[in-house]
Amino acid sequence: MKSNFINRISIILFSTVLFLSCSSELDFDQVDDFKIEPVLVANLAFFNLRANQIPDDGQAHQIPPDVEEFDVFRNKYLNEDLVKAELNFEIENTMNRGFKVELALIDANDQILETIHLDVPAYTGGSNIIKYPAEVYEGDRLALLKKTMKVGFTVTVEAGTGNISGNLKLKSGAIAYMRFE
Amino acid sequence: MRKALLILILLVQFSFAQNKQILYNFTSIPQSSLVNPGADVSYKYYFGIPLLSGVSVNTGSSSFSAYDLFANNGVDFNDKVRNIINKSSANDKTQVNEQLEIFSGGFRVGGRESQSYISFGVYQEFDFLMYFPKDLAILAVDGNQNYIGKSFNLGDLNVRAEVLSVFHVGFHKKLSKKLVLGGRAKIYSSGANATSTRNSGYIYTGPGTGINMYTQMVESNLELKTSGIAKFTKDEYEGSVASDMAHNTFFNGSLGLGFDAGVTYNIKDNLQLTASILDVGFIRQSKDVETRRYKGNYIYNGVNPIFDSTDKPGNIFDDFEDAIPEEKLYQKYTTWRPVKFNSSIQYSFGESRYDGDCNCKGSDEKRYLNGVGAQLFLMTMPNEPYVALTAFYKRSIFEKLDVKGTYTFDPYSNTNVGLGVSGTIGKFNIYALVDNIFEYKDVSKANSAAFQFGFNFIFQNSKE
Repeated sequence: MKSNFINRISIILFSTVLFLSCSSELDFDQVDDFKIEPVLVANLAFFNLRANQIPDDGQAHQIPPDVEEFDVFRNKYLNEDLVKAELNFEIENTMNRGFKVELALIDANDQILETIHLDVPAYTGGSNIIKYPAEVYEGDRLALLKKTMKVGFTVTVEAGTGNISGNLKLKSGAIAYMRFE
Repeated sequence: MRKALLILILLVQFSFAQNKQILYNFTSIPQSSLVNPGADVSYKYYFGIPLLSGVSVNTGSSSFSAYDLFANNGVDFNDKVRNIINKSSANDKTQVNEQLEIFSGGFRVGGRESQSYISFGVYQEFDFLMYFPKDLAILAVDGNQNYIGKSFNLGDLNVRAEVLSVFHVGFHKKLSKKLVLGGRAKIYSSGANATSTRNSGYIYTGPGTGINMYTQMVESNLELKTSGIAKFTKDEYEGSVASDMAHNTFFNGSLGLGFDAGVTYNIKDNLQLTASILDVGFIRQSKDVETRRYKGNYIYNGVNPIFDSTDKPGNIFDDFEDAIPEEKLYQKYTTWRPVKFNSSIQYSFGESRYDGDCNCKGSDEKRYLNGVGAQLFLMTMPNEPYVALTAFYKRSIFEKLDVKGTYTFDPYSNTNVGLGVSGTIGKFNIYALVDNIFEYKDVSKANSAAFQFGFNFIFQNSKE
């Protein structure tokens, strides 16, 4: 009889474990708060203008402009989920002339949306790397940026003396602040 | 994208394992011959209650629980997601295995003294395996800004899924008091398969090389093979995915063949060794096959004016699509079933005092009340095999009421205690097996939980 009693108890205990399970309070509505905010960096543009591409007559000249396709905003995510962008430019000039570099953001109808001006001093020996303040795009300015389909590059060499040698190098990158929610 | 990430994370949560450590060698349950066709199961004949003879659902996640994600504790949901990503590794896996017996039965062949048995049935199975795509999760959540110099590994994308039905016939024979041998032949009918397990490549952002701000490269060798799925993804598809898939699974699937084999060997009266190997087989994926491949490499420099009239404007998207094009192929392919290996050693003690109903294993056999032992479970996986080790204790409480307790070490838990009970009232057999019982005190915090139950009618030889 005693062993029967023990057996019965163990059955009851076993059943208890099976049927009495609990759960902490869970809140599945939290899913609505879900958002991710990755920050992406990418190259934007670069060039290397050599001295032999510039007429060496001491006068100011505009180098023939170059327009490049820039269709990243065709991408749905970049268009819809980009909440802020920063463009960073860095120019190294080893030519003994000053330059003006202009980047024109151009829309699908070939209208200029905005022009970024970068002044470059002449090389006088030593390091001549200029880091420009970031161009920050938020709000209306960002909306304009998202219409960009092409970028026009215009380089103007300033008047000066002496033979031209060296390079004008541009590097640039973009920081894209995304938000998916 | 947000939804995709969330679904992915939820899938990790509802992960299932295929180890059936409680059922294994629990020979009063006929379904134990599905995990060892050489199990020492005996009956005159039996049949399972259709759809209710074997239902198994297991959940497990090696890195987090529902509580970690959905606890109502004031912590920001996004911080929870980030914590989970930080805690998880690319080796954390998601396994899903669900099985439902459609019908099953068995009978003894030969005369009354024969110890040869046939069993048969059909079950539906869902299999899912995914590794946690850690690098891609980091890239999605943080972006690459703070990871200059890191290669995000595309090989972290590792997933396979299958819905299939299995038609099987098994035979086992007790050759002597010491030895039981068994085997089972299987025909697989796969309604849907998706396999993407051989991926490689990376997304890299490094410091610039002098001409550029960054070095940016994508090397991609991604491939997703599907069978029985492509038609559901088409815009013009108008039907019920569930019923079409069920129809395909049972009547119009990609076919395959496989076998199970098993052995029980009684070293002594009270010392028993068993082993089985399951699902050695393949499926020739041939119905509605579609493979999508993204192969190539791409270096991104941004736009590059060269102030030259011959300069041809580039187009970033077209360049990317040219470099890593999407290829669609329609070749048949073969998938291998995950092979499982089980083994156990059991020491029995405490001779039975019952002298009532015999269970027809032969009257001269000793019957023990208690058994203790150890089990090993292995399963093949794309990366490394799944290994689980179990210690168990079995006891016959009454002649027709058996319980089994297990303690299992597996990738999900080091404290997995399971309990199983099988009772027979008349001819009616009920069994219930519950894994990880201590997690039930707060199931939301469970890293894994599993249960299995079923109902059978078992007919033994009537008493002389």
